[in-house]
Amino acid sequence: MEKSLLMYEACAGSAAIRQLRMLGEKLSGRRVVHVNSTREGGGVAEILSWMVPLMRDLGLDASWEVIRGAGDFYSVTKSIHNGLQGFPVNISQKGWATYHAVNQANAETLRPTLEDADIVVIHDPQPAALLQLCGGRRGKWVWRAHIDISHPYLPVWKTLRTIVKGYDASIFSMPQFALPLPHPQYLVAPSIDPLSEKNRDLPPEELDAVRAGFGLDPSRPLLVQISRFDRFKDPIGVIEAYRLVKKVQPVQLVLAGGGATDDPEGEEVLREVMDAASGDPDIHVLLLPPDAHRTINALQRVADVVIQKSLREGFGLTVTEGLWKGKPVIGGDTGGIRRQVVDYHTGFLVNTPEGAAHRIRFLLYHREKMRSMGEKAREFVRENFLLTRHLREYLILFHSILSGSSEPRIYV
Amino acid sequence: MTPFVVMDCVLLTRMSGLPEAASLRELRERVAVCGDNVLYHHFYETLLRPSFDYPDYHNDFAVWAKLHLADLVLAERFGVLDPYAFASMEELRGTMLDIIDERLATLAVVPAVSRGSEFYFFEADTVVFDTGDRICSPADLAPSVARMSTGSVFFHFIEAHRREPVGVDDFSAWLLHFGEETSACREALRTIDFAFLTLSELRSEICERLAAQCL
Repeated sequence: MEKSLLMYEACAGSAAIRQLRMLGEKLSGRRVVHVNSTREGGGVAEILSWMVPLMRDLGLDASWEVIRGAGDFYSVTKSIHNGLQGFPVNISQKGWATYHAVNQANAETLRPTLEDADIVVIHDPQPAALLQLCGGRRGKWVWRAHIDISHPYLPVWKTLRTIVKGYDASIFSMPQFALPLPHPQYLVAPSIDPLSEKNRDLPPEELDAVRAGFGLDPSRPLLVQISRFDRFKDPIGVIEAYRLVKKVQPVQLVLAGGGATDDPEGEEVLREVMDAASGDPDIHVLLLPPDAHRTINALQRVADVVIQKSLREGFGLTVTEGLWKGKPVIGGDTGGIRRQVVDYHTGFLVNTPEGAAHRIRFLLYHREKMRSMGEKAREFVRENFLLTRHLREYLILFHSILSGSSEPRIYV
Repeated sequence: MTPFVVMDCVLLTRMSGLPEAASLRELRERVAVCGDNVLYHHFYETLLRPSFDYPDYHNDFAVWAKLHLADLVLAERFGVLDPYAFASMEELRGTMLDIIDERLATLAVVPAVSRGSEFYFFEADTVVFDTGDRICSPADLAPSVARMSTGSVFFHFIEAHRREPVGVDDFSAWLLHFGEETSACREALRTIDFAFLTLSELRSEICERLAAQCL
């Protein structure tokens, strides 16, 4: 079923929906084309699968195009992706030639659509070269970088920069992710879909079933960290914190994450976590399949405290998800977690296992405070990090770049 | 009587192009040269930005001084600055620079932050639009405010102080047309100290005060 704004009114509030309708009305009929490299799988496809239908619902003539390439193209773009994130990768001239050739081939079919659009949003580096191949474009072109490119491997950035500097604007998720470019750089934080399997309300019997399925004792407090098995997520530090709490409270711990079969370091970290947890029946290390969204949702809901004790983090959407379920979050003092976790309001920022243990004990002891912080956390996400806010910011951007005004204030 | 025209505003943040500041001295250098839009954003528009409403201070400089620079003296001095009390952005900038200079003069070591805690300079694009809603009588004001978006509350109650008539919110300016019968309401609105409220709290406060005056 195609998503509509009406479905979100109960979660986001009628004022937010009305605001979107009014912003959309004034863009009615504008042709907006999003371009990325995959229809399914990955965060970008997930965003576009709700954003495009909701833009249509608002009256925009929105569409979603996907570029097609062969295996060697994706090898090159994977290297570009890694290089932008700072890994030293060698992309040969032939590699860049493949990148340009695939963009060229896609431009042949997409050119009429793209050149005719009022706004083209190109997601990530894969289709970025389309700009140079659409010389007859009449609209505004925006490059949306979904990854952190703040410390790139310079040879890769040097080449890509020559491509993306020609855009009319770019969008980054956080200021820390951006690099200087000769056009306006907008900041649009990620968001969650409150109606997705990962975030929708679940019936109590389903929560009971998940609890029973994993052998969790409903009478004792539960700590949950959802993340892949990665050193930057500090799962060993979470176990240390749990052990410190367990000296005074009979807690249980769930560490749940996706499979790590294609990531040798992930397998190693998982082994270390299993070793650290062995012999303690109250530590549940769960390796979940990639589509276990409802299970993750249920685990976050049955938790007393959600933990995201990362040592390094991007925006940290698992934090947003935990807050949306009305749980205070104990989060590592890093990246986007700092933006979401505010001491004594939505959770606590911590730097060590000892700090995490201290804050967990505080919350488990002050149950009423924990409950009120959880309520505040959910309202905080409702106001700031649902997809309705995400959509609103795209509409503002469209108004802004279509106005052609250099003034910071636009009356529409 | 002319009906009250309900407007709304929304903003999108963008990078200002200035490098981030990692120390108090760098903050001073950037504040001295940044555009008015940058200062405006960090002082006036913080409530409209998607972020946690931090009720201690409503300007980003005070929050940064407290949370990242860990200079509580500086945080308090920045925090007390009321941007609506300044006649111009230049005057506000001058006061800020004076506070920093005074602080730097008393410190043996220039305070600095670790990587990841730098101050980023933003500005914003704001879209203002007519919601189509009209309020025809003072009695309809409270229920209308209750339905308003936080953007409308910001536009009509906070930002209005910078527009003519300066220092007055739009609701009070409109109520003035109804004469003496609305004077208690206007007084009730005038005494709201919005420096310590989030926009949703402010919306509730306005409604409660209007209701208490039987409007």
